[in-house]
Amino acid sequence: MQLWHSVLQLSLLVFTAAPTAAASAWGFADATVSVHTKGAGVGAGFKETIPDNKALSKPVSLGSTDTLKVSLTARDGSSATRAHQVFLFLQDPETGLDISYPFNVKDNGKSKVELTQKDLPVQFLSVSEPLDARFLIGSFGSSEAYNGAAFKLAVTRNPDHPVPTVEVSRYGKLPEIHHIFKDGPSSPPIVITLTFVAMVLAALPILAGVWITLGANVCHLPKAFKSSPISHAVFLGSLLSIEGIFFLYYKSWTLFQILPAVAAVGTVAFISGSRALGEVQGRRLDGSR
Amino acid sequence: MPTKRTTAAAAAPATPKSLSSGPKTLTANSSVYEIAHHVWQQYLATTPQRTMLLDAFMAFLVLVGGTQFFYCVVAGNYPFNAFLSGFCAAVGQFVLTASLRMQTSSVSKGKAKDQVVGDGSVSHERAFADYIFGSLILHFFCINFIN
Amino acid sequence: MRWSLSLLLFGFLAVVHALSSSGNRLLVVLEDAAEKDSFSKFWSDLEARGYDLVFESPKSDKLSLFEHGEKAYDHVLLLPPRSKGFGPSLSPKNIIEFMNKDGNVLLALSGKSTTPSAVSSLLLELDFHLSSDRSSIVVDHFNYDTLSATEKHDVLLLQQPGQLRQDTKSFFGGSGVLAFPRASPHTLGGSNPLLTPILRAPTTAYSYNPKEDAASVEDVVATGSQLAVVSAMQARNSARFTLLGSVESLQDAWFDATIKAPGDGKETETANREFAKQLTAWTFKETGVLKVGKIEHHLAQDGDLASVELNPKIYRIKNETVFSIEVSEYNYDQYVPFEVPENDALQLEFTMLSPFHRLDLQPSGKTENSTIYSAKFTVPDQHGIFSFRVNYKRPFLTNIEEKHEVTVRHYAHNEYPRSWKITGGWVWIAGLWSVVGGFLAFVVVWLYSAPTSAAPTTKKTQ
Repeated sequence: MQLWHSVLQLSLLVFTAAPTAAASAWGFADATVSVHTKGAGVGAGFKETIPDNKALSKPVSLGSTDTLKVSLTARDGSSATRAHQVFLFLQDPETGLDISYPFNVKDNGKSKVELTQKDLPVQFLSVSEPLDARFLIGSFGSSEAYNGAAFKLAVTRNPDHPVPTVEVSRYGKLPEIHHIFKDGPSSPPIVITLTFVAMVLAALPILAGVWITLGANVCHLPKAFKSSPISHAVFLGSLLSIEGIFFLYYKSWTLFQILPAVAAVGTVAFISGSRALGEVQGRRLDGSR
Repeated sequence: MPTKRTTAAAAAPATPKSLSSGPKTLTANSSVYEIAHHVWQQYLATTPQRTMLLDAFMAFLVLVGGTQFFYCVVAGNYPFNAFLSGFCAAVGQFVLTASLRMQTSSVSKGKAKDQVVGDGSVSHERAFADYIFGSLILHFFCINFIN
Repeated sequence: MRWSLSLLLFGFLAVVHALSSSGNRLLVVLEDAAEKDSFSKFWSDLEARGYDLVFESPKSDKLSLFEHGEKAYDHVLLLPPRSKGFGPSLSPKNIIEFMNKDGNVLLALSGKSTTPSAVSSLLLELDFHLSSDRSSIVVDHFNYDTLSATEKHDVLLLQQPGQLRQDTKSFFGGSGVLAFPRASPHTLGGSNPLLTPILRAPTTAYSYNPKEDAASVEDVVATGSQLAVVSAMQARNSARFTLLGSVESLQDAWFDATIKAPGDGKETETANREFAKQLTAWTFKETGVLKVGKIEHHLAQDGDLASVELNPKIYRIKNETVFSIEVSEYNYDQYVPFEVPENDALQLEFTMLSPFHRLDLQPSGKTENSTIYSAKFTVPDQHGIFSFRVNYKRPFLTNIEEKHEVTVRHYAHNEYPRSWKITGGWVWIAGLWSVVGGFLAFVVVWLYSAPTSAAPTTKKTQ
């Protein structure tokens, strides 16, 4: 029951650990594996004999122009017999992907298979580990079938040639995406800002200084207030309050709050301003400006 | 500050006596420094004090505007709307003051006794009222834009 | 009267207690009425789960999958036909049409007889491929029942399937051994994500045509795990089609047969009965059916959520947003909270043309029969028409495809930070206000400055 948990496990354990002890079991003899490189002379290349019912210790490497030839004689017990299933079984040990290649079987059990990289599925061309090659020999009846490791097959590729890949669409989880936000604009260092603020504000005292040097004064203020006190006071006051309203607008007020206020104060400023400026004109005309 | 210079130059021929009573005259091969010095002396000698106050205010605006522009070059223009409104307030105020100066520095022509001057220009007080109106609108826009 | 009523109600409940999520009318297409008895346990199992079984012969004149343009049955179980096909009323076109109307189909094949070409062409349309002779069976000299198929090795023994992949749910799991006598194998089209194998042949298996009397196989189409014995296709509308290679595995004889694997395996009972239940339950939508409940999205807010507007039509860029979706799964007779398989994730996409965010939704709560999955994220800094999208398509689970459009707007003009909050703007603010101050001072000076006595101009004008 335990052995059933994995087919691979089963095949590995049962058939390699307890090889053909009973007479009614399949096996093989006279197995050879050879690799012929295209263009190389006859007899060149790799050739090894696989011991009966055992695995070859050396790995076999298959290049892109090579042909792999495997031949063996299937035996039921000790007699060479034709089996229904004589397969060369390849499996990628990482993904578990498998494929089998049937041998060409003759009546006397002699079997042969030839393989090139073109025969392999594309997934096998890009594997990092050597493939597991096994022999599957079995047939109907009561004889126990043979499933044993034969050799390791390394698929070598010319690194200049791209490895073909297969894009298979399968439903599944997709990689997460997190939006990358644009960097917000940043203010310059506060020191620079404060320096320039000081420079801008310093312009006001400079202006005052220049004016005083030039002899600016408010000497006419009492005179103006004497001749038309209300209009001057109201005019100046309304100008100040318009700028004050603007400041409140800057602070918190809305446009519709300031518009009526500005309209009212503006009217006052207009009326008082025309009176006040009339007085100023009077001063100019009598030559005191 | 071209406005200042042209108006000063324009004012100069209008007072031919001041030329002779002013500093030494220029010769054709005066150095650049001499020319500048002469112009400056001429300006000091012929400009009314009221106009000089006005010029001082314009110089103040140039200083404020220039500092803001320099800050923008040095430290970047974020927040840009603040730069625009701060800088434009200085520039706009300068332009308005310059037009006020053009309208009021004609006092030396001696025609100012009429309320409305014969050549179509307006009285100083009317020009000043327009100046205040224009300035208030400018301030409103700049404050509105600076957020 | 009251007694009889409650009895009636009780009876009704008893029938209803286990019922498919998509109806209980099951049509069984069976050509040979004599065969019906050999499946009696299978039928009684189905009836016990609440199905109304209707047996019809494919040759029957009144057999029709549709009635008044609507499907007349919810599910169809097709047993392998003896003759050339299922007849005109069960043509491939009709079966596809039936699936388009959300009908589910379970098709059983048998390796005993040649599969009719009409069935083969139906399967081809769904991207299942049979061998070209249509009469191959799976043979495995390593995993066969030594008790019943000593010589022919054609009773395939298989472990109950586990997970298909690391990230899928297993609806057919168990630890029993299944027997598939004379299974007709198929291969699956490579590029179709709607197809999923449920049970593959062992790696050592191969298919051959027993009618060809070859002494050894030298030309095989597919071997090992490329051969599938049971496979499923779930269409885009979540209609299900299951292909079972061996109809004999449903027979009474195999429901509790004793089997023995070659080698030193022990004698065990088959788990066919359990597997038949799992397979029919999945195909007829008793399992793996997802239902979406409430979907909510709103602005993220700490504490009291009562004041938050639910599912607003419009969001602003950079808003913190919470999205939640309630998902339940039907499990035989009721909806239960859906649990996402271990290596999988229910994902939310916030997309405009392409996803700007794709986030794994995390379980945040549970109701009696649903799990609430939610995710919190910041709306991207891009305005436009976006949509919350949950597109959950997985093998063996019905599809969830939810799309909720919202508008993402820019900052309103009064949502930007005020100018004094940005230190970089202080210089210009100071500039503006010093201009204003300078202006006021200038007005005063202009109005009230008396000319200095030394002023030359006043002399000249006089």
